[in-house]
Amino acid sequence: MERVTTGIPGLDEMLLGGFLPQTANLVEGAPGTGKTTLGMQFIHHGIAACGEPGLILTFEEFPQQYYDDAASFGWDFRQMEREGTLRVVMTSPEVSKADLEQVGGRIERLVQEIGVKRVLVDSISHFERLSETPSELRALVYGFVNALKREGLTAVLTRESMALLGEAEGADDTLTFLVDSYTLLRYVEIDSAVHKGLLVLKMRGSNHDKGIRQFDITSRGIEVRAPFEGREGIMSGSPRRMVDSFVQAFVRR
Amino acid sequence: MEDMELDLTGRLMADMDPDLLEFLRTKVNSFAKWDLLRFFHDSPHTTDTAENIARYAGRGVETIRGELAELARDGVLEENQLGGMIVYSLAQDQRIREMLDQFVKASDDRQFRVKAIYHIIRGMR
Repeated sequence: MERVTTGIPGLDEMLLGGFLPQTANLVEGAPGTGKTTLGMQFIHHGIAACGEPGLILTFEEFPQQYYDDAASFGWDFRQMEREGTLRVVMTSPEVSKADLEQVGGRIERLVQEIGVKRVLVDSISHFERLSETPSELRALVYGFVNALKREGLTAVLTRESMALLGEAEGADDTLTFLVDSYTLLRYVEIDSAVHKGLLVLKMRGSNHDKGIRQFDITSRGIEVRAPFEGREGIMSGSPRRMVDSFVQAFVRR
Repeated sequence: MEDMELDLTGRLMADMDPDLLEFLRTKVNSFAKWDLLRFFHDSPHTTDTAENIARYAGRGVETIRGELAELARDGVLEENQLGGMIVYSLAQDQRIREMLDQFVKASDDRQFRVKAIYHIIRGMR
């Protein structure tokens, strides 16, 4: 089966080769976990290694922020813009959605002009200000995601999680039903140090690695490493060593 | 007194590129417009409503609504209807884009900025 590689060492293996083409892929995490970096790496890899032009739709950060952040990993987004293989578009959810609904809108023209194949939407959380009603919000996001797919794009959608460690309380899961894959980035506290963990929770139409892997943000971008071993309760944010749990359960009675 | 001031303005603007001076006189005649032009220069693919552009520029929407409309009237921006919203984007006109680029680059020079600020303040009186 054809795959859209992310170029992220370790993640493509977890995804059994990469995302499926023309799918919407949600990446959720707390501030600083690396959602935008993962998305930028996906876009950069597409342009630099696969010849697939990219689009970044940003609902908050200025294009300059992306140029600077990308430069810190050695990715020259400004040059890619000049060469016509990348567009960083600062806009709002309501305008981008209305634009995609139009025949021959700006985004559609952009896709055709430079042959965009990949899109990073940073972040989909901003749709939440368009409606307080879950069903209406679901319909809004559903329309937006489908419009991206209609344009033949493989999308990475970032979503902010307020939980720094452990499970997010009261998280609205409407979006997770609409997307094709769902990847969680989490902070994990081990021996008084904060590590980062990545888990692919869902991948529609494909098998995937269900392990919780450690990852680092290096000078080359994200690198996914080995699974957390000998620990349990990783997603709680405060994992226990399995031997401790065993002792607690069976020995200290 | 007024003659003296006109003379000073003339001397200040004398060494300015005539095209740049014309752009400053006819397009950038308020500080809010300067901010907006800088924003569209840095984010040339943006299409958005006055409310959102105000948020990006850190200005009140009532302050910039009229300025956006004037910039559209003067051909620097395009004003369009989109799904019941009025949206603004940078004009596709290559000459305007080049002039804007020239203006923003010139604004990095302190001497140019001082002259441009003086010109705008004088125009606001």
